[in-house]
Amino acid sequence: MKEIMLTINGKQVKGKEGDTVLEVCEANNIYVPTLCHLKGLTDVGACRMCVVEIERERRPVPACTYPARDGLVVQTHNEKLDKYRRLILELMFTERNHLCAQCVASGDCELQSLAYKYQMDNARYPYSWPALPLDSANDYLVIDHNRCILCGRCIRTCDEIVGVHTLDFGHRGWKDMVVADLNQPLGASSCISCGACFQVCPTGAIFSKNSAYKGKPEECRKVNSICPICGVGCEIEALVKDNRLVRIDSPDLSDKRGILCHKGRFAPLYNKNERVKTALVRNGRGKLEPRPLPEAIDIVAKKLAELKAKYGNNSIAGIASSQASNDSLKAFKELIAGTIGSNLIDTLDGDAYRTIIKGINGTGAKGGLEIETSLEEILNADCIIVVGANPLESHPVAGSYIARAARRSKVTLIAIDPSQNTFPYHATLWLKPQEGNEQLAVDVLSKTIIQKGTKKDSARTKEVATSLKDINVKQNSKQAGIGSDDLLEAAEMLSKAKHSIIVYGEDILRHNNPALITSLLKLATITGSQDKEKPQIISLKPKGNSRGAWNLGIANSSQSIIKNLTSNNVKALYLLLSDDYVDASELPNLSKGLEFIVIQSSYLASATSKADIVLPSPIWAEVGEKYTTLDGLTESTSRLIKPSDGIKADAEILREISQQMKK
Amino acid sequence: MTKVKVASVWLEGCSGCHMSFLDIDEAIIELADVVEFTRTPITDIKEFPQVDIGIVEGSVGNTEEEEVLKELRAHSKILMAWGDCACFGGVCAMRSSFNKEEVLKRGYVETESTCKSKIPCSPGVPALLDQVKPVNHVVKVDCYVPGCPPEAGAILYALKELLAGRIPVLPSDMMRFD
Repeated sequence: MKEIMLTINGKQVKGKEGDTVLEVCEANNIYVPTLCHLKGLTDVGACRMCVVEIERERRPVPACTYPARDGLVVQTHNEKLDKYRRLILELMFTERNHLCAQCVASGDCELQSLAYKYQMDNARYPYSWPALPLDSANDYLVIDHNRCILCGRCIRTCDEIVGVHTLDFGHRGWKDMVVADLNQPLGASSCISCGACFQVCPTGAIFSKNSAYKGKPEECRKVNSICPICGVGCEIEALVKDNRLVRIDSPDLSDKRGILCHKGRFAPLYNKNERVKTALVRNGRGKLEPRPLPEAIDIVAKKLAELKAKYGNNSIAGIASSQASNDSLKAFKELIAGTIGSNLIDTLDGDAYRTIIKGINGTGAKGGLEIETSLEEILNADCIIVVGANPLESHPVAGSYIARAARRSKVTLIAIDPSQNTFPYHATLWLKPQEGNEQLAVDVLSKTIIQKGTKKDSARTKEVATSLKDINVKQNSKQAGIGSDDLLEAAEMLSKAKHSIIVYGEDILRHNNPALITSLLKLATITGSQDKEKPQIISLKPKGNSRGAWNLGIANSSQSIIKNLTSNNVKALYLLLSDDYVDASELPNLSKGLEFIVIQSSYLASATSKADIVLPSPIWAEVGEKYTTLDGLTESTSRLIKPSDGIKADAEILREISQQMKK
Repeated sequence: MTKVKVASVWLEGCSGCHMSFLDIDEAIIELADVVEFTRTPITDIKEFPQVDIGIVEGSVGNTEEEEVLKELRAHSKILMAWGDCACFGGVCAMRSSFNKEEVLKRGYVETESTCKSKIPCSPGVPALLDQVKPVNHVVKVDCYVPGCPPEAGAILYALKELLAGRIPVLPSDMMRFD
């Protein structure tokens, strides 16, 4: 980039060609007040706070949109400019109903801070006092139009960073307003409740219900951590006051991986699930009653030892939720497979693992999950294929990476999805095979690409071609329910792409059809990227720590244990749910033939009512532990808040049971 | 030495600004040496003498407040506005977005605790203005101390500046709207 020289406030400063005047000022530590500008967003010059004087310009211009040039002479501060800035502030304060004394954002408001800075102690203009609505239909967010200054940060964030573009300006001129979709309430709109608009709002116009009036940022402790909820592994920055979460933000929204979703940003603050506060033991009358934790641990250890002695090691099964941390899962494996010596150990999402692994093995590839690519590659792709998934729901941040990319004209998005989920509406092309014919559709697409001639002309491409020799594009595409034009268009997009990636998810995994995964891997083999060895494919796994649990070998059983309790003659079941809220309907036949059920859980869910003993688990925010993201990176979380007395880390309890059993 | 004469009124507000003024604590003794408080809500004197400094708390929401404010202005050399209501309309101005008949009905008839009531209409009750106004939208104001309420320190700062013969403008770090 060519270097340019400007004179700002009488000083020579360096800039880069292509920078705006504001960017040059920022790079040279020259303060220019801003409101609508935000790092990472397109500048629009909406608020006019950044007006500067430029030699030979007839009037002040906004620095955020004015391109810097060599030799430009700029004045950022003088009496006239400061007068204008105060005037703009007065206009903003009189345009809508800015009553700081009762506003959630008071003390943390950019509009207010600027008014202080420019000593705006009164407003000379007639107040409009418009009657404006307040939209509180969303579960987490409120839009109070009374406090909106129409800077458009939320709108640009929703479009450019989140990729959903729910928000935009509606109406015209005086009546201009931020609206969701076609002026729907936010709660009834396409909003994914990621809360990015709330994070970027400079005033109190968009706020979170459970953060409002809980504490100003300066009164809070700031803790950086990783969100372990879905496995994307987003960085979070939590504000904590009096051992209570006040709000969770992204440390840097402008970072390409800086988005958060409603799960990471809001779920921890809006968690209303009733907690297991102490150990519960079923008493003589069949009711669960609170008992001290050491006593409960003692009963569990004795009972497990007794059943092991009576019926053998394999009469005890251990099933864990993949929401549990690596630390918890390690201790769990040690207890079940080590101390008890049982082969019956599995995760609740074990079937998904078995499907993926069988699918990978079906191609003859070695390395298991390691053959998958990283989430980062979605950001580099110019063609993304989403198969049987709604990432905006299951893994919203990954969904945002994809939807955002698809909004940029150079990235194409192909959805292969028979269902009614809404994600394909973001796609450039939606291949909609008949339900159950997804595999055929994928094979037909691969065959079409091979017939067109793929750039990846390797031995493996030939292997794929051989394996698809029985596929007849014309006949089979009809059978799969896909139009030949669509097929050709998809093949065209893929052959044009320099770097394509396949993302598949739970709708595919639910079928438990490894052959479909094999077909997807074949497609990945003949597409992908020329300079990448790995097939560009990644699965969106069911739970936050699925990859961690699977890497630990907990789901290595050849069949689902939870579905086969009776046929395996299981007498006792140890269920580690951790902070996964599990409904009893997800655990069929739980009470049939079982003599003893231990459930270790953070929440009192319908599942825990089936237990003979319930042991308390902390939630992830209460412990600092290790989790593995869905693309295999192991990250450590930090403790955000302290758990209440009597709640210990899962691993500690599991180890205590192990030790007692060994005595 | 003749003392500086001060008068103050509270209009549509909560009296919080005057309470905050009393929070200047012992500084009030010092102030009493150089200042004479004439008509204020604290002294309960009813007539306006001619004063050097007129202080107004609260916004203007009815005809009586408008009259009192104009009278204070006419009797003051310098008029100072205290608090968000006087400076910007403040919490009182929340009703400005609504029709005043609606507001009266909501306040006197529809309140959950009211069973049988009507809107007061005696000629002695001042009529509501259509909208609540900050004082500078009714009369000329010379200086402002915003805040809800303004901090005692800011009030004292402004008074001291006035006593020193300067028109105060609160420095940025003393500015508060809440």
